[in-house]
Amino acid sequence: MPVYVDISRCIGCRSCEVACQRVHGGGSHVNVHYAGDHAAVPVFCHHCQEATCVKACYTSALYKDGERTAFVIDKCTGCGLCRLACPFGVVWTDKLAHKCDLCSPNETPTCVLTCPANALSTDYEAASRRARERAAMMAIRGGRR
Amino acid sequence: MSKSLVPSVCPYCAAGCGFYIAVEKDRATGIEYMLEHPASEGALCSKGNASLEVLYSEDRLRYPQVRKGEGWARLSWDEALGLVARRLSRIIEQSGPESVGFLSSSKCTNEENYLVQKLARCLGSPNVDNCARLCHAPSVVGLNMTLGAAAMTNPIPDLANSKCIFIIGSNLAENHPILSRWIHRAKDAGAVVIAADPRLTHTAWLADIFLRIKPGTDVALLNGMANVIVNEGLTDGEFIAKRTRGYSGFAESLRDYTPQRASEITGVPAGDIIRAARAFAISPASSIVYSMGITQHSTGTSNVVAISNLALITGHIGRPGAGIFPLRGQNNVQGACDMGALAEFYPGYRRAEDPETLELFSLAWGVSNLPKGPGLTSTEMIDAALEGGIRALYIVGEDPANSDSHSNRVRDALESLEFLGVQDIFPTATAQLADVLLPAAAWAEKEGTFTSTERRVQWTARAVAPPGEARPDMEIICELAGRMDLGPQFSYPDATSVLSEVNRLVPAYAGITPARLCSCGLVWPCPDAKHPGTPILHAQGFKLEEGRGYLVPVKYQPASEDVSPEYPLLLTTGRVAVHHNAGSMTRRSPSLMEREPELFVEINPADAVPLKVADGDEVIVESARGWTGARARLTERMKKGVVFMPFHFPGTNLLTTDARDPHSKIPQFNVAACRIRRRD
Repeated sequence: MPVYVDISRCIGCRSCEVACQRVHGGGSHVNVHYAGDHAAVPVFCHHCQEATCVKACYTSALYKDGERTAFVIDKCTGCGLCRLACPFGVVWTDKLAHKCDLCSPNETPTCVLTCPANALSTDYEAASRRARERAAMMAIRGGRR
Repeated sequence: MSKSLVPSVCPYCAAGCGFYIAVEKDRATGIEYMLEHPASEGALCSKGNASLEVLYSEDRLRYPQVRKGEGWARLSWDEALGLVARRLSRIIEQSGPESVGFLSSSKCTNEENYLVQKLARCLGSPNVDNCARLCHAPSVVGLNMTLGAAAMTNPIPDLANSKCIFIIGSNLAENHPILSRWIHRAKDAGAVVIAADPRLTHTAWLADIFLRIKPGTDVALLNGMANVIVNEGLTDGEFIAKRTRGYSGFAESLRDYTPQRASEITGVPAGDIIRAARAFAISPASSIVYSMGITQHSTGTSNVVAISNLALITGHIGRPGAGIFPLRGQNNVQGACDMGALAEFYPGYRRAEDPETLELFSLAWGVSNLPKGPGLTSTEMIDAALEGGIRALYIVGEDPANSDSHSNRVRDALESLEFLGVQDIFPTATAQLADVLLPAAAWAEKEGTFTSTERRVQWTARAVAPPGEARPDMEIICELAGRMDLGPQFSYPDATSVLSEVNRLVPAYAGITPARLCSCGLVWPCPDAKHPGTPILHAQGFKLEEGRGYLVPVKYQPASEDVSPEYPLLLTTGRVAVHHNAGSMTRRSPSLMEREPELFVEINPADAVPLKVADGDEVIVESARGWTGARARLTERMKKGVVFMPFHFPGTNLLTTDARDPHSKIPQFNVAACRIRRRD
């Protein structure tokens, strides 16, 4: 159950960043990046099906738990291999590793609840339906977004 | 350990998002989202998420203090209140109550605002105002004149029912992020979004049509659109005939505003003006969303009137999805105005110069000789302080030294006062100039009601105790009144008893009794105890002559300041997502400060290169009134010749002008000529 981002909806307000930092203490596991002058996208753990961070972790502190890339802090040695292995730069090591835990055991991650623009969701169907609807709308309107 | 969840209303903007504060051992330990909230559905922006940091800031004021030379000496509450009462009483005795002014706070509850204006007026001073003067005074004046009610006409979620949303002078994506949720829903259902702004903002990202307008030319754009609508026959003739007056004069006045001429003035291509006008007029339900980009001009009231004209000729008002949405800034600025903390109005927008108003309140409050208004506005009080007409100011939770324009002049004015009393939660720039400084409770440390921008009156509960000896503003005002011989008028045991008095005196609040305020509140007007509230205004006509809205011709007038060889750049000001207004709270919130730590100026690379300014350079920005340091951000967001600075940091308002809108007295924060050079 990863979090899906609808870039057309993201307004770059950084609510997800601050909310993530609030519930996890210390640093945020989400970073909002800006593309050009006004497009924005929150970047965080994709919970990859073939997670390179899990492959790199020799103590199995990082492991796959269903769809989730989970993490047990007790096994972490702080070696930093996961940080190097992550292709998206969303695993950090400050003494010990930290990354998005999907706010487990909560049902819905905090960033999804807090997002004012409804740009984040855990519902793949909703995210893909919206994309299809947008494409249809574009066709009807003759090319405009 | 037991944990309780206390319902609260966000203390930042006026969207009125609710959340629960988790309290353990009398300490606020966390936030839980309020999924059932009608406007926010549990969502919360960055500021709301960081709001608890403010409660536990080391900077909180903890005990009363008096100025001693360059420093401060601690006082007991009894000594401090006695001192304030004596100083104010002496000045009133010597030069009359008009020599004293009160600033109430749009951050305080309705009950507290009601009490501050009651105190000022019972003491005989007509001079009471709040910082609505700096954000939406033109909306109060303009919308009262044209529609008969100074408020957002439809609820926030109703935006989802719009088929065309025209956003002008509002960067809601950063300043009222929750609105984007409803705009996206409208877009999902096929709505067209138009955005007009000098800056390519994150809000522009939502738009299908973006109109990049030259600062201060809004009337030309709006009249240009109206011209297209009238000439192409896209008006709603039936609505105009049945529900408005003044059409023929108005249509006549549009003759000069052809799309070509509007384009020359605004810098927006004529084709885009026509496209926007058609989209707005032909949609079955269109809304206009605006904010301080419209109001903070020397033509602020004209701008607001031009907006209401556009809605009236197309009949886009008083129905679901069709209305005017002025987005208000502070969490309770709507309430502060409703409660009469305004120079020209007693509670319930009763005109301060009307003898009936004075009679009604004299009777209700048991005092004779209530002062006839209008009194001095907050901006005029600053003038009067410099000229000597105002000798003492009592300021509740406002920071004019940072938030007024041309702040060097404001500081001079505050320093020239014989007495300045301030009650606040932080030692703001204004508090630093006070003679007596009283520590107040923050929003979560007291109870009462806030009225959001959609007129939703919500109860906020006390979650935790204030720090040190700090006390709720309501208690401070009542204690002070008691020491100035107004004990009988100010004997309220709690906020509920004040709200009951408001129920009796403000018709729109008559049915908003404490017992009915569940966590989601009630929307005024709510005239009796069984009334469900009125989410959509003007559905049955306007509260004006014959129930008709008023079309008033407005002329484009250039801003009071333009570029010159000496000051070749046009400065416009605004806000960013992680800060709020003058920043006295957000600049003390670590998780927000780490994201936006310093003042910056956005400048187009084409302007920056000749100045040898690179991205990230420290620069000095100068206007005719002052200068400040800032960090340059080179970006195509700004059109060539226009620069942007957020006003959350003290430097920005050193530059802005004190030119004002003649009708509403709001300063022209959004247009100032400036120049930039490298700092080295």
